[in-house]
Amino acid sequence: MDNKHIIGVFDEEDALMEAVHEVKEKGFRIGEIYSPYPLHEAIEAMGKTSRFAFVAFLYGFAGAAAVLAFMYYTAVIDWPVNYGGKPTNAFPSFIVVTIIITILTVTILSLLTFSVRAKIYPGKAYILPDARSTDDKFVVIFDKSLLNGKQTELEGILKGKGAVEVYEKELKPEN
Amino acid sequence: MDTKITIPKGLTYAALAMIVAGAGVMAYSFATDASRAWANLLLNNYMFLSMAIGASFFIAIQHISQSGWSAMFKRVPEAFMAYIPYAGVIMLLIYFGMHNLYHWTHEEALASDALIQHKSPYLNVPFFFIRMVIFFIIWTVMTQMIRRASLAEDSHGGMLYFEKSELYSKIHIFLLALTFTMASFDWIMSLDVHWFSTIFSLKNFVAAFLHGSATIVLVILLLNKRGYFGEMNKSHLLDFSRYIFMLCIVWGYFAFSQFMLIWYGNIPEETEYFAHRWDGGFKVIFYVNFVINWFLPFVFLLPQVLNKNKNVVMTIAVLLIAGQWLDLYEQIFPVVVHHPVFGIQEIGFFIAFAGLFIFITAKALAAAPLIPYKHPYLEESLHHHIH
Repeated sequence: MDNKHIIGVFDEEDALMEAVHEVKEKGFRIGEIYSPYPLHEAIEAMGKTSRFAFVAFLYGFAGAAAVLAFMYYTAVIDWPVNYGGKPTNAFPSFIVVTIIITILTVTILSLLTFSVRAKIYPGKAYILPDARSTDDKFVVIFDKSLLNGKQTELEGILKGKGAVEVYEKELKPEN
Repeated sequence: MDTKITIPKGLTYAALAMIVAGAGVMAYSFATDASRAWANLLLNNYMFLSMAIGASFFIAIQHISQSGWSAMFKRVPEAFMAYIPYAGVIMLLIYFGMHNLYHWTHEEALASDALIQHKSPYLNVPFFFIRMVIFFIIWTVMTQMIRRASLAEDSHGGMLYFEKSELYSKIHIFLLALTFTMASFDWIMSLDVHWFSTIFSLKNFVAAFLHGSATIVLVILLLNKRGYFGEMNKSHLLDFSRYIFMLCIVWGYFAFSQFMLIWYGNIPEETEYFAHRWDGGFKVIFYVNFVINWFLPFVFLLPQVLNKNKNVVMTIAVLLIAGQWLDLYEQIFPVVVHHPVFGIQEIGFFIAFAGLFIFITAKALAAAPLIPYKHPYLEESLHHHIH
């Protein structure tokens, strides 16, 4: 299958974002953006939304409720023990454990959710259009088959906005 | 860029009216119930002082971390610091209310109480005031040095004053850690002379930092509504609301740690503190304190829809000012007044001190250009953008 892509390489975040906004205005579809660090603006510009923070909140909420319920069950219902005359439902002393377990729950479940949604697993072969995006370059790619022959216009915009390199490359299809 | 703000005449008159009206209530209060009046005086003066101290710590942290984002707002915390010497003068007035406030100043208590005798080399009236004067001299000198360096930067520019500010800030936070600890022990914790808590000063310091920051944000947003700080964008607002969010968690952490360890240890000389604060109608304040100072800011500043909304952040800042008042009420009133009271006296004292604080900070704010236009990080601050 033909999987040719146009790849634009930028030195600066600002130049990349200017180019991204410009090509969006002209109606090009951005394939993907690769950057050395997360760019919220780029995610917004690509029209992607994330429910990740909300899901993490739900995990935390559920984790906290579950831990409190578990401690209540063990300390009050199943095996009440008298510690120095304290009430068996020693709520203030449950809080510290709850905080710790909540953080653990959120961390582990968020990691799993992210891996599933992004289809990342240990040992997966990773395809990078341009390996320099892991160093100091900002890379934006476009699917050539969607360009409808407007390749020169696109390359002109990218160059005009300060791309240090624009080239065409055959990418291996994502597995 | 060299713009000074003009304080509207209305604000000055309003502040003066607040002082005058409050002073009337204060006079009435001292004539009727002196203990309650002194408790109110201590509460409000300590409250606005801790806002000024919190602001001085805020700006010191910005200097030490060489923060760019906050550079254009630094005049606001600087203006807060101007309140410190005035708070010092008012705090000295406590001399006339020592017997009303502090049990350990009573001769008969000293004669019969072994614990007070044991503490008396430190807790005695002359040394109490010597320490107080030393604290205020240190705070005034350090904050003045930071302020002068900042003003000198406006006329000279360059990196010299930027580095000087950082050095002064380092000295300031070191001294502040020692002096504010002792100050909160002296003024607030010694009200319960038999009780002690090592986390107490840390909790009160974080409260000062939290409420100082909340008030800074409130003032900045109010100025923004009036058309100042035109360069303020969503990223600044998000940073400010995260600052409050983070500090409210830290406050909750320390307040809860102090309570939880005492509750769990259940040692009589420690639990008596909370026993006092759970009796006679005070218990509701104990819970409301956690709700206002931790729970509500936590919940309302968590979603990005809300923490990027100026009105929400302003509401939370106002709520936190009320929260600080309540937090100090819980610390001071159960030992001095013994039963929960709220009336014209409490409102009058608060209005008088709020008027004084507004008057002084507004004057200090108008005395210098609002934007430190030769700050080396000003450009970064103006174009601040969170990734």
